[in-house]
Amino acid sequence: MKKYLPFVWIAASLVVVGLASLKRDPQHQAWEFAPNMYYPVGYEPLSQIDANPINSATGKGNLNMRVPVKGTIPRQYFASTDGDSVISKLEKMDMIARNIGPNDLAVAETALTNPFPTDEKVTKQGELLYGRYCLHCHGGSGKGDGPVGKKYGGVPVYSSDALKDLNDGHIYHVITYGKGRMWPHGSQVSPEDRWKIVQYVHKLQQEP
Amino acid sequence: MIKRALSYFFGTATAIVLTLWSSTSGFAQDPAKGEQLFTNNCASCHNVGEQKLIGPGLKDVDKRHDEAWLIKWIKNPAGMVASGDEAATKLYDQYKPIMMTAFGSLSDDDIKSILAYVKEKNSAPAAPAAGTAVAGGGGGAAQGDGEQSSGFFGIVLVALLVVMILMLVALFGILTVLNRLATVDPSSPEAQKIPFFARLKESTGKLGNSPAFRTGALLLFVLLAGKATVDGMYGIGIHQGFAPKQPIAFSHKLHAGEYKIDCNYCHTGVNKGKQANIPSPNICMNCHNAIKGSSPEIQKIYRAIEKDQPIEWIRVHNLPDLAYFNHSQHVNVGGLQCQQCHGEVEKMEVIEQRSTLTMGWCIDCHRKTSVNSKDNHYYDKLVEIHKKDGVKDMKVADIGGLECSKCHY
Repeated sequence: MKKYLPFVWIAASLVVVGLASLKRDPQHQAWEFAPNMYYPVGYEPLSQIDANPINSATGKGNLNMRVPVKGTIPRQYFASTDGDSVISKLEKMDMIARNIGPNDLAVAETALTNPFPTDEKVTKQGELLYGRYCLHCHGGSGKGDGPVGKKYGGVPVYSSDALKDLNDGHIYHVITYGKGRMWPHGSQVSPEDRWKIVQYVHKLQQEP
Repeated sequence: MIKRALSYFFGTATAIVLTLWSSTSGFAQDPAKGEQLFTNNCASCHNVGEQKLIGPGLKDVDKRHDEAWLIKWIKNPAGMVASGDEAATKLYDQYKPIMMTAFGSLSDDDIKSILAYVKEKNSAPAAPAAGTAVAGGGGGAAQGDGEQSSGFFGIVLVALLVVMILMLVALFGILTVLNRLATVDPSSPEAQKIPFFARLKESTGKLGNSPAFRTGALLLFVLLAGKATVDGMYGIGIHQGFAPKQPIAFSHKLHAGEYKIDCNYCHTGVNKGKQANIPSPNICMNCHNAIKGSSPEIQKIYRAIEKDQPIEWIRVHNLPDLAYFNHSQHVNVGGLQCQQCHGEVEKMEVIEQRSTLTMGWCIDCHRKTSVNSKDNHYYDKLVEIHKKDGVKDMKVADIGGLECSKCHY
């Protein structure tokens, strides 16, 4: 027994040195103390620990989110469509806009107007939103020279003769359904945010 | 009298003819004016080069069609197709159902200028000159970097040298100890006769029996074992450094860093709700319908859409279910930058959890951070009451940021 003692020592030392110098493997999560308290029992929209037994039957793998019933529309301001407030105007516009199809640009031009008043505050909010959703293609001053726009190609200049007079409805419709090279952005930008962006784009149209 | 009138008439006539002549020949093809007209009117559908956007790329357009035809086409494309012009019908068939917009407002000279600009842009010599200028500039910058990093490397070199000297000293020490322990002087001729392994066995045996060495080894063993245990215990439940390989090799460095796409563009929920959201493929497609569609990584997006199956991204940042966290409260109301918790995402090739996301980490920030009460009337009374109590700088901790039930319920 004593004969093997040095080897035992060497092996133990190697194991300990190995453990001490071990860097966490970035491919795996760390050990967890109480996973049954960390992971939700209910389904979470963006994470899935175990396979979802209900949706897997629909052939969608582990998808937790369900597609809403066809024809579903959000009605966050449903109670306030009457009246003169910005919110009720917004809701009214939304109701009209939802009945305008992707190819009805001309209808949108005549039927839609910006429910927000033209003022500094809304323009400022529009500028912030423009920075989030539009700037990387359309550029800081709407000249189509954003870093992505240069690579993507075909991004127009807002202040050009063809675009400088476009009205509220046109711009709103193009954000919602896209036009030409631009793809629809209706899923990302809420109607409220779209109208604010419209107002800021009007400012950029006037920029030389 | 008549003579004078006549000469006056001829004078003006020549002047008019001269102006007309100069305007048609001298200024007709102004590429600079053409560029401006092109970006304003044509660039949204046409590329100057070969790339096909909505309409064809305009490289060599002057070779495909003659100038008179082009002028006629640009002014009234629909009319040309209707009149049954062969080239026009062919072009329309290629791009149906999109019909080119008519540009009746452009004069012949405008169109000539645009064509001159397209021609100039495609003539080769201009590009390499710009290229070399850029390369020269880049070289200069690289040199500057080199100087800076050479200083850093100098420090590293010196440090390495010091470590090497220390190691030499240590090795020399071990050698003298071993020499002293050896029964036979290793430099003597009789030592050479003993086989190497026998010598090694004897030396290690003696070393093992030396009490100083034993104590040292035991101490080292205990220290390392202790460090491994403590590190392991502290690491339980902390996924800092977790950077798994995702199903698609998406690079935040390229998208958020180089192309400066705002975080909100894809993570649309970050200002509006609890979750920041992982973008659905339709958001990818806003750009990738055209950009780099042949790349195998981007083909994965197309496949997901075709099969109508979600891309199963691996979640990196996850708070345990026992703690409530809301993105909009922190980003929209508090005005925090994404980078404060997520690290420099715009420099990450693979997304990684940089912060610990432990409770101590949350609490620490709630103690240090002042409430962003500017232009937010919700906080008006709170600020007033705190001022009365002598708290000028209202921290998150002052308004219940340390309450258990704020996050655990």
